[in-house]
Formats: sequence, C-alpha cells, structure tokens
Amino acid sequence: MLENRDTVAVSHKYADIKTQKISPAGKPKVQLQVVLHDGTCSTFHFVNPAGAEAQAKDRDQVKSLLQNLLPKFKRQIDGELEMKSRLLSLHPTLKHLYEDLVISKVISSEEYWNTPTLKHYTDSSNIKQEAGVSGAFLADIQPQTDGCNGLKYNLTQDIIDAIFKTYPAVRKKHIDYVPNKMTEAEFWTKFFQSHYFHRDRIASSSSKDLFGECAKLDDQAIASAMKHTTLDLTVDLPQFIEPVPLLPTEDEAPHDKERGDSTSIHRNMIKRFNQHSIMVLKASHKTNSSSSNSGNSSIKTTNNNNKVLENGVKEINGVVEKRPAEEKSSTEPVEKKKRILEKIHYEDLEDKSGNEDAQELKLSKVERYLLGPSSQVCQTINTTNPPPLSALASICQAWSSGQQCARPFRVSAGAAVGALGELSPGGALMRHQHAASMAQLIPADVKGELHRLYLSCGELLRELWRCFPQPGTADGDEAAARADRFYEALLRFRNVKLRPFEEKMLRDLTPLATTLTKHMNQMIDTACAKYAVWQQRRAKLR
Amino acid sequence: MKLTVDGLLVYFPYDYIYPEQYAYMLELKRALDAKGHGLLEMPSGTGKTISLLSLIVAYLIQNPHHIRKLIYCSRTVPEIEKVMEELKNLIKYYEKNLGEKPNITGVVLSSRKNLCIHPEVSREREGKLVDGKCHSLTASFIREQHDGDSSVPICQFYEGFNREGRESMLPYGVYTIDDLKQYGADRNWCPYFLSRFAIIHAEIVVYSYHYLLDPKIAEVVSKELQKEAVVVFDEAHNIDNVCVDSLSVRLTRRTVDRSAQALQQLEKTVAKIREEDAARLTAEYEQMVEGLREVAAARETDTILGNPILPDEVLNEVVPGNIRNAEHFLGFLKRFIEYLKTRMRVQHVVQESPAGFLKELSARVCIERKPLRFCAARLGWLVRTLRVAEPSALAPLTLVAHLATLLASYTKGFVLILEPYDDRAPTVSNPVLHFSCMDSSIAMRPVFARFQSVIITSGTLSPLDMYPKILDFNPVIVSSFTMTLARPCLLPMIVSKGSDQVAISSKYESREDVAVIRNYGQLLVEISACVPDGVVCFFTSYLYLESVVGAWYDQGVVASLQRHKLLFIETQDSAETSFALINYIKACESGRGAVLLSVARGKVSEGVDFDHHLGRAVLMFGIPYVFTQSRILKARLEYLRDQYQIRENDFLTFDAMRHAAQCVGRALRGKTDYGIMIFADKRFSRADKRTRLPRWIQEHLRDSLCNLSTEEAVQICKRWLRQMAQPFTREDQLGVSLLTLQQLQSQEQQEKIEKQVIQK
Repeated sequence: MLENRDTVAVSHKYADIKTQKISPAGKPKVQLQVVLHDGTCSTFHFVNPAGAEAQAKDRDQVKSLLQNLLPKFKRQIDGELEMKSRLLSLHPTLKHLYEDLVISKVISSEEYWNTPTLKHYTDSSNIKQEAGVSGAFLADIQPQTDGCNGLKYNLTQDIIDAIFKTYPAVRKKHIDYVPNKMTEAEFWTKFFQSHYFHRDRIASSSSKDLFGECAKLDDQAIASAMKHTTLDLTVDLPQFIEPVPLLPTEDEAPHDKERGDSTSIHRNMIKRFNQHSIMVLKASHKTNSSSSNSGNSSIKTTNNNNKVLENGVKEINGVVEKRPAEEKSSTEPVEKKKRILEKIHYEDLEDKSGNEDAQELKLSKVERYLLGPSSQVCQTINTTNPPPLSALASICQAWSSGQQCARPFRVSAGAAVGALGELSPGGALMRHQHAASMAQLIPADVKGELHRLYLSCGELLRELWRCFPQPGTADGDEAAARADRFYEALLRFRNVKLRPFEEKMLRDLTPLATTLTKHMNQMIDTACAKYAVWQQRRAKLR
Repeated sequence: MKLTVDGLLVYFPYDYIYPEQYAYMLELKRALDAKGHGLLEMPSGTGKTISLLSLIVAYLIQNPHHIRKLIYCSRTVPEIEKVMEELKNLIKYYEKNLGEKPNITGVVLSSRKNLCIHPEVSREREGKLVDGKCHSLTASFIREQHDGDSSVPICQFYEGFNREGRESMLPYGVYTIDDLKQYGADRNWCPYFLSRFAIIHAEIVVYSYHYLLDPKIAEVVSKELQKEAVVVFDEAHNIDNVCVDSLSVRLTRRTVDRSAQALQQLEKTVAKIREEDAARLTAEYEQMVEGLREVAAARETDTILGNPILPDEVLNEVVPGNIRNAEHFLGFLKRFIEYLKTRMRVQHVVQESPAGFLKELSARVCIERKPLRFCAARLGWLVRTLRVAEPSALAPLTLVAHLATLLASYTKGFVLILEPYDDRAPTVSNPVLHFSCMDSSIAMRPVFARFQSVIITSGTLSPLDMYPKILDFNPVIVSSFTMTLARPCLLPMIVSKGSDQVAISSKYESREDVAVIRNYGQLLVEISACVPDGVVCFFTSYLYLESVVGAWYDQGVVASLQRHKLLFIETQDSAETSFALINYIKACESGRGAVLLSVARGKVSEGVDFDHHLGRAVLMFGIPYVFTQSRILKARLEYLRDQYQIRENDFLTFDAMRHAAQCVGRALRGKTDYGIMIFADKRFSRADKRTRLPRWIQEHLRDSLCNLSTEEAVQICKRWLRQMAQPFTREDQLGVSLLTLQQLQSQEQQEKIEKQVIQK
C-alpha cells in the first residue's frame, strides 16, 4: 500500500492473468488472488462492512466474472504459451538457456523465442513417434545392496513396459499370476532370481522356476520365426557351399552336444544374447508395423521357392501350358535376389543424373539427433567444451533449407569439416589441450555450470554474428538495430553471468580458474572487436 | 561404353570406368594373348567380375578360333548368382548396341538340390537326399523297369529332357538358376540334366570350384569341356585349401563301422542275385575281362560320383583278376575294412606315409597295391550291376573305397595320420584316420595342363609370389592393382594398446589375460559409440570368441555395448547364424545399429559382405593363425618346407594375413562405400605382418596409424567419419578414380595406368 493515500488502483490486463485463487471458506479473511504469467501476483482483500457473508458474495461475483472473461483472453495466447512451457519442461537445455538469458534479463523473452534454435524445436515437436526399446534395458537395472545381504532392484514403469514389449512370454506370466497368485513385488523378485534375468545361469529344469517355461517359449518363437523367414541368398549360410554329393558329411553335431560343461554356458549365453537382440528389434518393429507392411510380407511368403513351381507343374503334366503362377514365381526369386542385384549395381559407374528424392528426416527430439543418445545416459564423455548446440543446429538448418538458395559462398563443406577436425581433440590445433585431464580435474557441478554458460554464450554470439551483414549485401538498419541489441545483451551476459562465475572459480578452483573461461572470453572479445570495427565503418559511411 | 583394350573392342556396360578396371583388362588380355596363366589381385568392389566378363566375352566373339569357352568358377552360391546377373547385364548391353543377341550362351550349373523341379524330390532340404531320390527315379535300370511295369515311378522331367532336350541346343542367352528352372518347367525338361548337357556346348559356363577341382565330380561333370578355354577362379584366395580338401579323406570309427554294415548289405544282395539272376554277374565279369569299362559308364544318370583320383592317374588297364568276381571283391573290401579297424585301435598317435601303410597292408592281410587302386571304380561298377536304388546308404563304404584308391595311387604329397583321441579330450576314445593331401598343386596340375589359360583372381592374394609356389605353376602375368580413390575411403589402423597402455595381443600367453580382454571390450564399446550403423568384429577362433563373450558379460562390457547397439553373435549352427545375420541387417537398416561378433575362417567371414552401412567398421581381434598344434598342418608345413622351400613361419603368417585381409576387406565393397579397418593386435605392426597385407590396404596404412592406443584410434575415427559423411559426388571422382571414355583415351591417362600396374 502506498502511503498517504486512501485508495489504491491496481489494474492488470486480462491477458496477463494466468489463474485466480480464492481463500478457502471459513477463513477470517476473504481474499482473491490473481496470478500473472510472469509469476507475480496481486491479492485482493474484500472488506464489505456487511460481514463475512457479504464479503464472500462480493468475492464470488468477481470470481465468476473473471471465470467467464479470462478464457476469452486466454485463448489468444494460450496455445503458444502452453507449447512454450511444455517445450521448456521437456528440454532441460532450453530451460537452462531460458533461465540464463531471459530470467536474468539478458535478452527479452520475445527475442529468445525467435531464435532459430527454438524454431527447430517448435516445428518438429508436433510429430509423435513411438519410442523403441533400449537394447540394454535389462542391464540398466542396476542392483543395489541394501546393506544386509540383499539386493534391491529399481523398476520403473518404463522398464516394465520394455520387458513386456520385448518378452511377451513374461507379460503372459504376469497376467496369469498377478494379482491372483502372487503380488506384483513377488513376481518381480522371482523374475530377478530366475536364470531368465541372469543369462550366465543354466536353465534349471525344475518346475519351481516360474520363467523356465518362458525361455522355452522364446526358443519356440525364434525357431518358428526362423522357419518362416525368407533368407536372402546372401545370408543363407547353409546353402553357400555346394556339398559333394553322396559322401557322408561328418556328423559333429551330436558329438558337440555331449560336451556340456563350461563352454555350453557360454554357448547358451550367446544364444540368449542373439535372442535378446532379435526380440528387442522385433519389439520396436511392432509399433510401426501397421504403417509399413513390407517387413511382414516377407515373413508371410513361404521360402520354398520350388513350391510355386510345383503348383504350376502339376497342371501341365505333359502338356505345355502357360502357367498362371508365373508372375508369382518371378517375384519370389526377385525378393531373394534383391540384395545380389543391389550388390552388382555400381552407382558411380552408371550415368544417372537427377538425384532421387531423399526421404525427409523428421525428428521429435532434435537434441538427441544432434548430440547423440549418449547425452541421455548419465555417463557423458564430453570434454570441457561440448560442441555448442546452437552451432550444430544452425549447420543443420543450413542443410535443411538447402544450399541451393542464394547464399554467398564462403567455405566449402570439405574445408569446413577439415577445420572442425583439426579443432577437435587429436587434431593439429588441439595438440596441447589435455582434454582428458581437464575433465577429471573439474568437479561435476562446475562442469555443468560451464556447460550452461557455453550454451547461452554460444547462442548470443551466434545471434550477434548473424546480424553482421554478409559481404556483398547492403546492411539494413533493422539488422543494425538487432546487432546493437545483441551486443548489449552480450555485454550484459558477461557482467551478469560470466563475471560472477569467474569470481567464484577464483575462490574455489584457483589453478584452473582462468583457463576455464579463457576460450569463452576470447570468443566474446572477438565478437566485440568485430562489432567495433563494423560500427566504425558504418560511422564513416554516414 | 565401347573401348579398345590393346586393339580389342570391348563393350563395357557402364558409362564410366575405373582406371584400375582398364588396367586389369589390359593385363588380362596379355595373359590370353600369350595363352598362359595369370594371377591378378584387385581390391574387392572395384568391379573385377564385370571387367573379366567384358574382356573375355569380347575376346570370345572376336577371336573364336583362339578361345572357345569361358569357365568361370566361384566359391559360393551367392557369388555364382552375382556373376550370372552381371553377365546378363553385359549381354543386354550387347543386345542394345548390336540390335540382336550375340551368339553366346551362358549357363550356370549347380547341384540337383538347387535345380530340381520335381514336385516331391525338390521338397527335400538336404542335398544328399535330393541326389539320392533323383537317382532312384532316373537310374537307367529303373527306367528299364518302368518300360516293363509302368507302376515304377520315374521322373517325368528327366524323361522329357531325354526325349526332346538333346536334339536342340539352348537358344542364345544367359540362363541363371531361376531361368533354367523356368525354362525346364515350361518344356517339362529337367533343368539339372539340361544344364549338364548345355555346358558342353555353351560358350560361358559358371559353376562352383568343385566341379572342376574335385576329381570325383569333375570326372562326371567336366570331362568333355574343350581345351581351348579360359578358366577363371574368382575369390581364389583359398584355392589351395579347396584343392587339398578335395583329395583328402577323413574316417571316424563310426564311418568305418557303418561301412562294414553296408558291406554286409551288399553281400546279401549279391548272394540273392547270384540265385535269381546269375547271368547279370557273369556278364559283368565278362565285361571286365574284356576291359570294357566305359560302356555303361556313359549313362549320365547312373554315376553320381566318379573316381576320386585325377585322370592322369587312372589306369587304363583291365581290372585285376582277384577282384573281378563280385564275391571276391567284397571279400577283398572286407579284409581292408577289418585292417582299418585294427589300426584304429591304437592308443597313440601314428603318422606314416602311404608307402609304409601299403607295405604293412600287404604284409598283414595280403592286399596288393594294384587291385586297391581299382577299388573305387570297381565298387561303382558293382553298385550299377546290383542296381542299388539308394546309393546314399552305401556312402560310408564309398568313402572307404575312395580312401583305398587314393592310398594306392599317390605315394608322394600325402600323409596318413591316426589320432586315437581328440586333443581337447584325451580320455575319450575317438579314433580318427586322416588321409590328408599336403600338396595343393596335385589337384591343380591337370587343370593347368588341360586348359589354355587359367586366371586366378581375388581381392586378397598378397603376397603374390606364394601362390605360384604352392600351386606349382608358371604364370605369364602376375599383377596387383590398387584402388584409385578420390577420397580416403578406407581407414586401416593398428591398435596395439588399450587406453591404459597395456599391449593387446591374441598371442597364446596373453590372450586369456583379463587386461587384454577388457581392453578389447573397451575398444569395441568406444568404437560402437562413435561409429554409425553396423560394426563387425572377428575373433581368431570360436573358442576364443566364447570365452571372451563370457568374460565381457562379467565385466559389464556387454551391457555397455547394448547401450549403444544391438548385439549379434555368430554361432556354430549355421541356420541360427543366418537368422542372426538377417536380424543384424534389419537392425542396421532400421538405424538402430548393431554389432556382430564373428570368427575368422568361419562361414560369415568367408561369404558374407558387409558393404556400406552394414559394416562401417571391422575389428580384427588378434591375428587369425590356424590351430598350429594340428598334426595335419604340421605335416603340411614340413612338406612345404622340404618340397617348395617355404619356411613354416612364412606360410603360417601368409595364411593368417590372407584371412585377416579377407575379414577386413568385407567392409569395403566399392568406391562410394567407406569403412574403418582396425587390426587390434600389437603384432600386426611388425614388418613381416604389415607387408603381407594387400597393397590396396597397405597404401593407406601410414606409419602414424600403426601403433595407436584405443583413445587415439577413436579420435581418428571420429575425425575421419565426419569427413566421410560429406556429400560425395561424381564430380569429385571424375578424372581421378572414375573416367569417361575421352578421359580414358587421353595420352596422359594411358601412361598413368601403365605405370600403375605393378608387376612382380
């Protein structure tokens, strides 16, 4: 409340209001609070002298009015806003960027959302893709000792889903047993005890093991899949070599099976690994099988290519006749031979101009594509300077927008890649950098912070560099204004973010402190110098 | 394009050509002109097959009096199919340019199993059963019986072919396995016998090595092929082993026992026939007295296997008197089998020469050398006389008869080894008799002598001077070609130590070392984390693979591997491996990426290509030496040292390196392809190993890539992969690794090509 005044006017635009809250009934004060999008809120206290009931009535009137009005204004911004907040919550990197740049007021929110990196996310996020199953999901269930001779396994719904998806036999067991015969927890305890989970154990034939049957079912499923798959000629190993007719081939098979000691554990394990991979692959194929039938069709057609001929042959029996099965029989060998035909095709020897239409790459998680799936796994092997996300993104954008557009030619792709190579660890320009040792010296939290700083800094720098006119094009005032803004933002960033970080480092990590931010400072200095030169030139021109 | 190679007009069915293809044709033509043999090494994926075919077909057409036939031998069925498709392409190109089909017939010959169209017989999945069933429907006596009694089943397709097929020749064109089947089904002819008949007249014959090298099959199939032919052995880096195998016999206790049973069966049949139809046996005897061995042998359907010895060793004499009579012969065989049985009761390893064995044989059971030589032929003869419908039941006996004939025919270059037990399980009695050929030139010699030009070619034949030695021939042309590249699309590296600087090696003393296995695992994990799509690894042996996988599971390597890619492993069951392979391909194609663990000298390493995304990196864990403790190998090494002055170590290294090269070469199948080749063993960096790699790999194996640690290798990979991921266009290649006709004809380019060929 401002002093010296009896009344105070608080006004908010409807569009700014995010929600309203009311005080619970029965409280001595009757209040209504409006929460704005930027997080601030105003509380209105109702002071009708007629008493609490009248106060509540007043409040309810306001409330219902707001209730009616707010959605109308909300709709204008809601979709966009919601998407933005969803994006931020989905992508931790974006959130960091947002916190660093917008909340610390380095740039405005509007500018932030207009950067091309973000457009990437906003454009691609509307396709939904079904995620496959990680190959290592079983291995990722790390047991923890609980201190008293027991093991604790952490299961999440995701892992359970993955297990069910990959091992239908386990799902069936689960349906059969839970919750009628045992509890969920018991079921999974049994699962972790079984050989099914520990692949180095030999399957016990005792009926106690709940999952002994599962392994058998898996074996059967694989065996039947094996029977019904058309093997391409190039991988059909048993048919590779033409055997010498009549002579007995040495029957080693029974002999080998007798030797059931240590080697057969390994052998069994190898078989299980193969099965696991095959089933994981199948589980991820299943989800999109409805859209593409090509995978299934090859399984449906039986492999015995003689069978087709046989149909045709039976009816002719002495009389030469055109067979109706002809087209059918011609497709099958084609399928078997497809790979061979591909192999003898030398694309560079043939003169076929006109590039075939490439399939468009659609990504739901751009950062996974740019940084690789390893970024999701906790063990990041990134050195102190991971490639700035934005830089990669802009490269990708340049590709996707097509290089045919009238972009002034600067550096050829090959040269650029060469330079990148020399700049990465092991390259000619990175000889003296001991990336590995740095990575070990820096504590994880500092590393994370540095990472974030790089991200934000890179974003700003890139924006600034983009504002500089390209050689040959006239510089517009608009770009100049933008450049000014980002230049300011960069300086602000340096003061608000970088300096405090450096000071903190000086305190905590003295020997390394200066080297950590040296590169970033260099980049900022270079950009500033360029800006200064550019400003001078502009001033001269005027 | 139409180009001239040393005055010969060659139709080449592509618009561009690689310089090395032209160079290859030049050399090939020189060999053909000189009517001599050649040894040519050219990297895989540089279009070796099409160069060969284009030049030889052009030569056939333009110099018909000089060369009449091309016999193209390859190793595996997919390879054969590939050759046929390339040939089809070429003939199509001729047709397009000439307006009519050239007067050339190209036929493939494969086993009955692949060619049979009989509704019931073809349903069998095993080759042996198909052969047996086919014989039981087409043998001459069955057909005679059918004439008298129409309820005896015969094969309508063979009858159809026999009636009409022999009168006309196949129309000009190229016939793949499927084409033959289609052609046969349309006319009701048997494709197998059609093809057997057609290869005699066809200008181009494509079949598997065995049909020419294995005397048992060659006698039946390839006897009538003309002399004025070019024989090409493609993928011939293993040809010496094929030769050796085709003349070797391995007998287990079980086989001997079963042969004795088969013998009893035969005795019964003879006794029965003696009662019912003694005249048949008498007639046989009479014929033998007169030496009319060939009369009935001409019946193509009756003989499935010929004599196991080479034609120059076959005696053109009358069958000796003591085995002319059927009963006498069976008694003779019985004595031989009994003798084998007693010999197999030994408690210690025996190694002896065939001469020593024969001497012993004649001293103990009075079996002379001469009748022994006729054993195989005599048995075949008897089987025909007795009209045995299912000759596959006699297979063990046939094997014993082959052993007898081989033993008596060859005294030099063979060794006989009796092992009472397997070395890995010395307590279990499991006697095995090896009669092993040690000299690969024995099977090869008649081929060199008979045909005008024999070309041996492969992607990996280095060191080139070894093959003329072990195959004992004098090539007129020996050349190795490299790959001209517009970008360094292969990256060979020798990783000699792990990140912790522990030397990695698969040598016997250290291969089970935990540190070595862990470092191998780490290398694989890091590679699979930075290489896209498919990664293939080769281990030195299956046992080693098993123990390493076990150790990796305990060390958690498998888990971290699965985090990056799916894991597939070759097993000893080839059907299972096939299924794993097809899933491996699926995983690579779906973008998930996969790792395949496999074995050098295994089936995968011998016949499956990992081109493009199927194999972006190949790792060779260790040097794939053969199992050096094997007695057969030791005997062979000794023989090679004494006869050909090849040092044991030289041969072992040569053999190991050709397999290593074969394994890593699987990754690269063309100039637009790219792949990393990692040799993970300290010993690879030694000069004697490095220099034995093919030239096209050696060229890229710079000194700086020869002694790397895991992390250095990974860094180099990352940089190189980024480079390779750049778009690669024809313009980049043109003039360097790809030529147009004009460029090819330019003086400068011609000189360059001339210079490029290195002759040894």
